[in-house]
Amino acid sequence: MQVQYKPKRNLLETILHTEIMQGMALTLKRLFSKPITRQYPQEKPPIQLGFRGQHALVRDPETGGSKCIACMRCVTVCPSRCIHIRYQVDEEKNCRVVESYDIEALRCVYCGFCEEVCPVNALVLTEVFEYAAYDRESIFFDQEKLLKNWDDFAEMKGSAINNYVNPFWRPRGLPEKYLAAAKRVNVPEEWTVEGQVVGHLAKEQ
Amino acid sequence: MQVIIILIEILILFAIVMLHVAYATYFERKIIGHMQVRMGPMRVGWHGLLQPIADGIKSFFKEDIVPEQADRITFRAAPIICLVAMMTSLAVLPFAKGWVLADINIGLLFIFAMSSLASYGVILAGWASNSKFTFLGGLRSMAQVISYEIAMGLSLVGVMMLSGTLNLTKIVEAQGGSFTGMYVFPQIIAFFVFFISMLAETNRVPFDLPEAETELVSGYCTEYSGMRYAIFFMAEYIGMMVMASIGTICFLGGWNGPFEVSIFPPFWFVLKVYAFMFLFIWIRATLPRYRYDQLMSLGWKLLIPLALANIVLTGLFKAIIG
Repeated sequence: MQVQYKPKRNLLETILHTEIMQGMALTLKRLFSKPITRQYPQEKPPIQLGFRGQHALVRDPETGGSKCIACMRCVTVCPSRCIHIRYQVDEEKNCRVVESYDIEALRCVYCGFCEEVCPVNALVLTEVFEYAAYDRESIFFDQEKLLKNWDDFAEMKGSAINNYVNPFWRPRGLPEKYLAAAKRVNVPEEWTVEGQVVGHLAKEQ
Repeated sequence: MQVIIILIEILILFAIVMLHVAYATYFERKIIGHMQVRMGPMRVGWHGLLQPIADGIKSFFKEDIVPEQADRITFRAAPIICLVAMMTSLAVLPFAKGWVLADINIGLLFIFAMSSLASYGVILAGWASNSKFTFLGGLRSMAQVISYEIAMGLSLVGVMMLSGTLNLTKIVEAQGGSFTGMYVFPQIIAFFVFFISMLAETNRVPFDLPEAETELVSGYCTEYSGMRYAIFFMAEYIGMMVMASIGTICFLGGWNGPFEVSIFPPFWFVLKVYAFMFLFIWIRATLPRYRYDQLMSLGWKLLIPLALANIVLTGLFKAIIG
């Protein structure tokens, strides 16, 4: 195939530089358009539904601790293996007790599988994304830190935290009967399979 | 007494031009930013208004590095040659009636001489740095300046023929105060040639081959740092302003405008120069760089014949009419 680099022009167009003028008109038009720059530290980006940011363990208002039952599902599903849980079995109550819950956030790929798979909605990826630090230790989250992350996030959200529902807590496309009881939460309409707008539908909108 | 007055005038001109250079960089960044749907400098001061001052302080206090293999004396002299040559041509520019430091009869020739001298600075910088990028930049600059100087000189011959003088003040006066008196109308071909060679003379896009970032890092000033680099930068912007002033004086009627502004006589001159500067920036935001052979063939095969034809046409016109 022969590519024609130079479009055909007549003499008048060559003399008057019509193509250059078109380009100049375009740049002049853009001069008066609104810049798309966001002045970041002063102007925060809008957080979209399903944003996956800093990790947190939801603080259970009843017990004051985490909701985690040490089922190890998050550890199993984690593709980067950044979650480590140690637990003991309480023979009397016949349940597991979490000894330590650590997330190496530096290894995390923020896939959100852990919060999807958690049967009690104990784990959440919050909307906090500004937690860069100067040392690795402060991005290694143990249980206290993860709970504190939740407190910070709750403070950021204010009263909206009381009916906060992370959309990943209810995985898409699963019928209600396959979900654990705690995961049958009400998520926003646009998060459900029927409600989400993708592909050509989004273009039409 | 005379000397002191002239010295004070020089100081005032120097200060004003330096301020203009600083803010020309600011407006260039701002305008190009907005043309690319960005914002340009925003942090230092309100909408980045103090950015040029911050840049100046930064480059002033930066370490001055001279490469080990460089020719030290030439390396140090090159930016100064550039700046001095460019600043000297400011002396003959008439900003308004009587607002000129040296009203000499060979003003136009003087400016050509000085802008050619400035290219020595560029070539010497390229040679003295002893690096391949700077050397290529210097070579390109030499070839470009030689080719386009001819076209530019020839394009202004038409203006000299019409006005019958080389004195810049007299050229403005010869055009008269009326709109139709501007030489841009009878000398439209010359203006076209002049405008393109003006871009090439000042190493601006689309003719910025001597400092082509994508291929030569930064061309002739690759090895320079700190204040010496800033001096090249200043020389380039003063060169732009001098060329814009020449365009204004020779083609757009200098300080004459639709009405007199008695409190500030150079009002129209300054306005026209700003318009030229905006055009420079606008073109930079729009056009890509020429290829080297395209640059040469444009200069030698199109602009020089056009300028020569313009001289012949002007001569014939003068012989028939006047």
